[in-house]
Amino acid sequence: MKTKWIGLAILAAVVIAAALYAFAAEKTQVTEANGYLGGEKIGLLEDEEVQDVFRSRYHLHIDYARAGSLEMITADQTGMNYLFPSNQTALELYEQVKGAPYRSEIIFNTPIVLYTRARVAEALTAQGIAQRKGEITTVDMEKLVSCIEEGRSWADIGLPELYGDVYVGTTDPTKSNSGNMFAGLLANTLCGGVADKSSVEAVLPRLQAIFQKLGYMESSSSDLFDQFLKTGVGAKPLIAGYESQLLEFAVQEPETWAQIRDDIVLLYPTPTVWSSHVCIALDETGAAVIDALLDGDVQRLAWEKHGFRTGLYDAPGDIAAFGVPGVAQEITLVAPMPDAATMDRIIQSLS
Amino acid sequence: MKKRILRLAAACLLLLTALSLCACEAQTKTRTEGAAADAVLGRGGKVLRILSGSENAALEPILEAYAKEAGLRIEMTYRGSLDIMRALSQEDLPYDAVWPASSLWLNVGDTNHRVKHAESISITPVVFGIRKSLAGNLGFVGREVSVRDVLSAIESGELRFCMTSATQSNSGASAYIGFLYALLGDPDAITLEDLESETLQAQVRSLFSGVDRSSGSSDWLKEMFLSGDFDAMVNYECLIIETNQALVARGDEPLYVVYPYDGLSIADSPLGYVDNGDDEKEAWFLALQNYLLSEDAQSAIQRTGRRSSYTGVDARNRDVFPETWGLQPDRVLSPIRMPASDVLFACLDLYQTELRKPSLSVYCLDYSGSMYGEGSEQLVAAMDQILLQENAAQHFLQASETEVNILIPFESEVLDVCTAVGNGEELEALDAVVHSLETGGGTDMYAAAAEGLRRLRDYDLAQYTPAIILLTDGQSAGSFSEFEQAYAELGADVPVFSIMFGDADEEQLRELAEYTNARVFDGREDLIGAFRSVKGYN
Repeated sequence: MKTKWIGLAILAAVVIAAALYAFAAEKTQVTEANGYLGGEKIGLLEDEEVQDVFRSRYHLHIDYARAGSLEMITADQTGMNYLFPSNQTALELYEQVKGAPYRSEIIFNTPIVLYTRARVAEALTAQGIAQRKGEITTVDMEKLVSCIEEGRSWADIGLPELYGDVYVGTTDPTKSNSGNMFAGLLANTLCGGVADKSSVEAVLPRLQAIFQKLGYMESSSSDLFDQFLKTGVGAKPLIAGYESQLLEFAVQEPETWAQIRDDIVLLYPTPTVWSSHVCIALDETGAAVIDALLDGDVQRLAWEKHGFRTGLYDAPGDIAAFGVPGVAQEITLVAPMPDAATMDRIIQSLS
Repeated sequence: MKKRILRLAAACLLLLTALSLCACEAQTKTRTEGAAADAVLGRGGKVLRILSGSENAALEPILEAYAKEAGLRIEMTYRGSLDIMRALSQEDLPYDAVWPASSLWLNVGDTNHRVKHAESISITPVVFGIRKSLAGNLGFVGREVSVRDVLSAIESGELRFCMTSATQSNSGASAYIGFLYALLGDPDAITLEDLESETLQAQVRSLFSGVDRSSGSSDWLKEMFLSGDFDAMVNYECLIIETNQALVARGDEPLYVVYPYDGLSIADSPLGYVDNGDDEKEAWFLALQNYLLSEDAQSAIQRTGRRSSYTGVDARNRDVFPETWGLQPDRVLSPIRMPASDVLFACLDLYQTELRKPSLSVYCLDYSGSMYGEGSEQLVAAMDQILLQENAAQHFLQASETEVNILIPFESEVLDVCTAVGNGEELEALDAVVHSLETGGGTDMYAAAAEGLRRLRDYDLAQYTPAIILLTDGQSAGSFSEFEQAYAELGADVPVFSIMFGDADEEQLRELAEYTNARVFDGREDLIGAFRSVKGYN
């Protein structure tokens, strides 16, 4: 009997040792990567299916700290392996400040859109600022900008329950990408074509006036979108954001989406601009992060669960699967962003 | 046989897991010792330390129920939202989560990018609550009211009100910004030039002359309101509802809620995780947050007078928002836009140094023998934080040009009385006095407080926010009746705040606080913090 116990004890010791070994082995194999991430991509990196692909195929655990796309370029990068901003201007800025990166790739794209509520969309349509063609609603940027510059109030366009003048809520263009890109879009509109270094000077005072009215601006696109959804039509009647944000929300929070879908309206500015989410590797681990992000399954999940378009123009899959009315299959009316030097001038004037 | 071996192996594994879990818990426990929490909810081994706005005190039962079920121990530390903002920008942040009243302060404060998973838990607007009959007389019932309307009532002397400090608390800051917009004639945005206008400054000063009492936090403002005799306060809709529930329960007249359409702001109550790289804590945090956002918890939260995100107030909770109190649960909350950060901070500086009603603070400081050594060192360090303006500015506690600070060092008798007017040399001289005094003798705080009250007779108290701030570390000799007599002779509503230190008798201090509608701060863990808090109240 006694020997039997000893035998079992040895067996148990072996089992424990094996378990410890397996545990330790797994630990040494998974590399921790850390970096700065634009807030709108948190959902993707927190996605368990995506994390599984990272772990099993690339032996990576990708952690992040949230930061604005432009802010992260100049932030303290000690201990960071990658930067994942939401536009190519950030990459150009990086190249100016720090030189050529270890590696960089565009991971996916999403257009800048406007979000609003049903009653505001109706008022904008009645004013001829927004147009509905079939399911899709577009916004004539020139008319919207005139409406803002004229200082018309919400009451003037038939919304007396809203306080103050018509405005588009954005993130801080000097810190965060969606606000930055919306500033680029406004500059294009004011210039009557893609703004460049010579044409932008004349419109800077008007651009400053539009942004000065906004007062305090959020520094993260995800916070702004979250507040748009949660604080209601009074607090954020009309905001600029990414198309991916609503698609992701509809997939991730189906119950809440069912409650509010009749009230939320997605508007495509004509023309709009593309936000290209580019990953900048700071070292070898960062380069591995890029490989992992470009994995076919990660790219598929990025569209299906998080709404990022992985190619330009045409949607990579069926848009009906999202259950979001008014999403365009193709984004055809797109203008290029002003170049980095012009954007730099715009950002300076808004700082 | 095979089965038995498997079972045994499984048991060993279980044991191993259990052991490693125990190790984790022990580790967690030692790490949380130190900072004292204001409320400890649940007794589990899994500790979550939350730095929260005081308005969330009303959610304690909901948090406690969850903590018990989940084996959590939730330690709530209550601070004003602006204090939370400042804590976020510090290197050392000994909390697992932050929960300020508004995401504005979270965004401005989180310069180190440590906050993750921030989600709005509920929504409540900042409103005026005015005694119902008075609101009726002022013509505020059943119509849209502007900030201008409220200001006219204050200017004509028909309305006096209480609010929290604009530099300590979100509700005070929000209301103040709303006042500025209204006085500037509702511009698109407040500019730095606007703030320099003499006319504006004079108007705001006259407005704040109608402030009866100030407070460092919204929840304590509610408590103070309930134990005093006041007409109106600026506070969160949910705290006005709580106040009314208490007023009605004791047979008093409720407050009528006024939503100023051109000066409204919203508190969105974001709960965010402070990422210190502990995956387990992150999981506990997310589970707690999920629970708070669940349908059941949201319904319970609505019953505390808060609105839910997306959907507002459910039909079954409408009874918490009675129309007879002026409540409008279906109102579209259309807030003013907050100014850009640089302008916002300029506004706050201006409030602190120029516009608020000047404070008249009497510091009664214990120099008895028991303060010798560490005690007096901490006292001196704390006073340095308040009296030296460079330090004070870091916490928006600067003195204004017209405020008065009186120092009364005491032991068994009053040692001296030193007065400083304004924020210049006289104030620095006061700090020199604090440094120069020696400790010795017994303790009689009543004599010191009574002396303070007698000194206040030299001032027109309507022009100031007066307060006595008492620091003591021991059982006091002397008698409460001496204090009581001096209080009666002064015949004014002056709070006697005290800071408990060393072996101070909490009972004695509480008696003074209750008598004067003030509060006791615990300086035993963090004396400097306690001084800062008490200073935030006036």
